[in-house]
Amino acid sequence: MSSTKGINFPTLSLKDALDLAILIEEEACERYQEFADQMEIHRTHEAAQFFRLMAGNEEKHRSELAARRVERFAAQPSSVTRSMIFDIEAPDYDEARAFMTERAALRAALRSEEKAYAFFVAALPQIKDDAVRALFEELRDEEVEHQELVRREIKKAPADPNLPDDDFGDEPVGQ
Amino acid sequence: MATATNPDSSATSTFTSKDFKSDLKPIWCPGCGDFGVLQAIYRALAAIGRPPHEIAFISGIGCSSRIPGYTTAYGFNSVHGRSLPIAQGLKLARPELLVLAAGGDGDGFSIGGGHVPHAIRRNDDLTYIVMDNQTYGLTKGQLSPTSPKGQRTVTSAHGSLENPVNPLMYVLAYGASFVAQGTPADIPGLTAIIEEAIRFPGFAFVNVQSPCVTYGEENQQIKHHKAVMKKLESVGHDATSRIQALDKAQTYGTELLTGVFFRDPTPPPTLGALVRQRQEALMPNAAPRERILDLFVQR
Ligand SMILES: Cc1ncc(C[n+]2csc(CCOP(=O)(O)OP(=O)(O)O)c2C)c(N)n1
Ligand code: SF4
Ligand SMILES: [Mg+2]
Repeated sequence: MSSTKGINFPTLSLKDALDLAILIEEEACERYQEFADQMEIHRTHEAAQFFRLMAGNEEKHRSELAARRVERFAAQPSSVTRSMIFDIEAPDYDEARAFMTERAALRAALRSEEKAYAFFVAALPQIKDDAVRALFEELRDEEVEHQELVRREIKKAPADPNLPDDDFGDEPVGQ
Repeated sequence: MATATNPDSSATSTFTSKDFKSDLKPIWCPGCGDFGVLQAIYRALAAIGRPPHEIAFISGIGCSSRIPGYTTAYGFNSVHGRSLPIAQGLKLARPELLVLAAGGDGDGFSIGGGHVPHAIRRNDDLTYIVMDNQTYGLTKGQLSPTSPKGQRTVTSAHGSLENPVNPLMYVLAYGASFVAQGTPADIPGLTAIIEEAIRFPGFAFVNVQSPCVTYGEENQQIKHHKAVMKKLESVGHDATSRIQALDKAQTYGTELLTGVFFRDPTPPPTLGALVRQRQEALMPNAAPRERILDLFVQR
């Protein structure tokens, strides 16, 4: 469930908007890394590989945005922090499951791209600054591209075995 | 033009969630509600703004009780059901530490249930977070004190015959001054609750409905929480009234109300404050430290 706290979209400056976009990518990258770690711990290697790949993609987007930020605003201090955003593009924690298939992992990623798209769509009508609007439109359109990419991969992924969820539970380690 | 305002209530906090995240990777089942609780704790601690070495996190035993190890605070994954006595002892010995206690519904309301009233009546400045998944997760899904009547588990194959404990009524009836409930289905809401509980002077209790994906029922999962949860402030609740809080707390197990049930508008003094007062009162007549043994020697 994505949300923000303390961000005033109508008065958002381009510097803050770029910083916000960077933090959104950083949050998503970290969550995919966490998911990849969870999958490795629970011997779910294909999903782990996929989540690692997604973390790499998010990091690439983050560093591209960070380069633009430096070029435009150098080291001017940021007034946006991670505490202002919650799960904008990062998949929700309950998307992960032990032994999830590659297809299920792709679907989780698709829902995250849709979530990010919905965030920019909801924010855009509130934006007053032209440069910020252009940036948000660019980011919104990128989310559409990412969604299409993931949908193509879903089509190629092997079909899920027709088994109930209960068959996929891993158990905790005793103490 | 700076147009975003940092919402951390301690605007001077220089900490971020990352400062409280340890290198240990959680081994919880993917999808476990405890991941969201951990995230909310990191965020709340970042907003509080005290460094990890000034925080101690005590737990019992259970999946949920692994939580201190995933933080950079001092931690003790102690003995089943004993997080509260250890946390109280620590707070008395080191009053300057921010002390958190945590564990599961089994840890807190079964084996450890007898400690809860005493922690409440002593009123040490502690925050107690229970990850209530209505099962014994770690030992593979047995009936717990909060499992709903009728729940089928490995120890109740035909459905539980017992009424569950209501943790909210339990602590309210014993006189807790701060009582709240949250869910990892709403991490921002849970973060705000935990932050407020930590800031509250005295024993603060937070029940978190934290789903067990491996042994829980479908209607105990995050998707279900998202569909049914209601914030207390949206139902016109007066959190300064213990009677109203008790009334709302009756919904435990049938509805999912989140937020602060009760916040004492005039919190009673903490045990630490009373101890300091007593020490100050006795100090003028106290024997010097080097003569203390003389008190026990007959002349
Ligand atoms: C004295 C003692 N009795 C029993 C156990 C076995 N045991 C370990 S965890 C646990 C219950 C865990 O349930 P809960 O506290 O709800 O935590 P969860 O795993 O659900 O998070 C039990 C009975 C133990 N470790 N020590
Ligand atoms: S058994 Fe349940 S409580 Fe324990 S880690 Fe797994 S999902 Fe979480
Ligand atoms: Mg439990």
